[in-house]
Amino acid sequence: MKFIFSLAMKNLNRYKRRTAITAIAIALGLMMFIIVDSLLLGIELESERNLIWYETSSVRIHQKEYWPDRLLFPLEEGIENPQQVINLLTENGYTATKRTMFKADMILYSDDFGEDGNLSVMVTGIDPEQDNRVFHFEDTLVEGRFLNKGEQNGILLGSWLAEDIKAKIGYWVTLLTRGNGGFFEAIDVQVVGIVNCPNPNVNRTLIMMDENTAGAVLGMDGAVTELDILLPRGADVDIEVTKIQAALDAAGLSELEARSWREMAKDYVAIAETKRGGTAIILFLVFIIAAVGISNTMLMAMYERTRELGMMRALGMKDNHIRLAFMFEAGGIGLLGALAGIVLGALGNIYLVNQGIDVGFLLRDMDIGYRVQSIMRGTWSSKSFIITFVSGIALSMIVSLLPIRRALKMDIPACLRHQ
Amino acid sequence: MYKKISRLQKLMILTILLFCIPSILFALSADEIIGEMDRLSTFETTYSTGSIQTTDRFGTKTSQFKSWSQGEKDSLIEFTSKAERGQKILRTEGSLYLFYPDAEQLIRMQGAALRQSMLGSDISYEDMTEEKNTLDNYTAKLEREETFKGNACFVLTLTAKSRSVAYPVQKIWVDKQSFLVWKAEYSTAQGRLLKVMEVLETFKSGERVLPKQSKIEDKMKKNSATLMTIDSFEANPHLDRSIFTLENLTW
Repeated sequence: MKFIFSLAMKNLNRYKRRTAITAIAIALGLMMFIIVDSLLLGIELESERNLIWYETSSVRIHQKEYWPDRLLFPLEEGIENPQQVINLLTENGYTATKRTMFKADMILYSDDFGEDGNLSVMVTGIDPEQDNRVFHFEDTLVEGRFLNKGEQNGILLGSWLAEDIKAKIGYWVTLLTRGNGGFFEAIDVQVVGIVNCPNPNVNRTLIMMDENTAGAVLGMDGAVTELDILLPRGADVDIEVTKIQAALDAAGLSELEARSWREMAKDYVAIAETKRGGTAIILFLVFIIAAVGISNTMLMAMYERTRELGMMRALGMKDNHIRLAFMFEAGGIGLLGALAGIVLGALGNIYLVNQGIDVGFLLRDMDIGYRVQSIMRGTWSSKSFIITFVSGIALSMIVSLLPIRRALKMDIPACLRHQ
Repeated sequence: MYKKISRLQKLMILTILLFCIPSILFALSADEIIGEMDRLSTFETTYSTGSIQTTDRFGTKTSQFKSWSQGEKDSLIEFTSKAERGQKILRTEGSLYLFYPDAEQLIRMQGAALRQSMLGSDISYEDMTEEKNTLDNYTAKLEREETFKGNACFVLTLTAKSRSVAYPVQKIWVDKQSFLVWKAEYSTAQGRLLKVMEVLETFKSGERVLPKQSKIEDKMKKNSATLMTIDSFEANPHLDRSIFTLENLTW
């Protein structure tokens, strides 16, 4: 075995240029894999964070009847005793806040906006004091101020929405909506702050106002449409949902239902799953690059060394040993390629993790499902590096089998006569 | 110190009282006006054709329809214009269904879904299929009498009894003779004017006067109006009861 191994290494050394070219091809393929995987994983992690921090929270509680009609924002299916539920959640160690979501027509006036107009919007009534314990909007304020508790006429806008409608601090708009029961109601509100939320879906549509004011306008009588809970990082959301539901049921609040962010953001989860399929395709492409390179190198080696091969076989070297020697040689090229690929991938990833790629110009008017607004950053994944290393060597060895098999099929005199 | 009333004075007072009694006895209350208004706009059965013209900032769109109704609760509207051909809206007691022929899909509208605009107009599904039971939903108050477009009208304010009606306050101009609503202003509870409906043209069906063309303007949105026109109207035709069934809807 030692002889076979040293023969393989000597062959590697004998054909330096070919070894280097093949190893570089493998290295580039693996580097590509590391970078793309890092980027996709980074986007996925950032998307999850932006979803939970700005859109869904970790867990949301609704009335059971609310969920099937959620796209119509049925105010009739509100949580009537939100403070009681929040107290129950606090006793169980959770941080929660109440919110009321409703649809409205936003009427714009030429006095402020230059022309009259209207657009259909979704408004979120928040508790300004409690909301930032669950969501993180306070950190994203870029202009004006945050809402005050009980504020009668103030609204916050997402910066992209403000940009689209050319809204500025101090501008007045009217929100025309249907209250709890179906009655029409209108309220004049003033833009008091603009937030640049890192979640593009939210930043494109965000309008927030005080929950008490929203409740009074909508005739909610103290009810809210949802309660949002933030779980600590790393908590198993499914286990926590089960615990929260059990606590609600035990308190006689079984008409309420807890849902994880995964269930609420099914569109995003589906995209993330598709992405995983995409990663497998990239890995397959890397495999093709490695396979073609190695296969070609081995085929060349076979043709160059056919007479040598015939000599070795004539001297009594077993086919299995010859096969092993060539596989070790291929494994050696794979090892060199994998090491170089890891080094190149790591160097590229340093830039991706620290600087990232600014794709804001693309995402501004396009929804790709990911909740990343502008800079796509990579992340460090030891799993990705291990896969790269192992697959680089293993694939090289596996694809070398084909040309070896072909050479070993020739009989010894034919090998010796080979020109 | 009371002054003695002369015979002549007594006679004068009596005469004035005699003149006033008929108007006191026969003056209609707000509820009676509304009751009469509802009664005269409800038929045992009807069949009509017409159109809805919607104007907004994107332009003008016209949709034609055929409509059947039976009493206060059952109605069926079928759109005949090219873009919406075959779409049907069926309202039976407590339920509203939409049928889309292209998708062969039957949708039951309920709750918040009823508040959606019908074909992008200023009319919602609930407006279109409203029951003629105004007094169940509103408290009526007779404000004054006024002439509107040359017609003597009662001006009434309707205040919603519950939150389940779209317009918390309505001000209506009801013709003193025909009990036709010439104009209606729909407002929020705070008195913010949302929509104005005005009858532009009328037609007679027997002794009843009905709106031929009405204009509904959304006062919150500039340049937004819906013109509803009745092209033909038949009162009390014989209608097969099966018209107002789900089976008929999916034909």
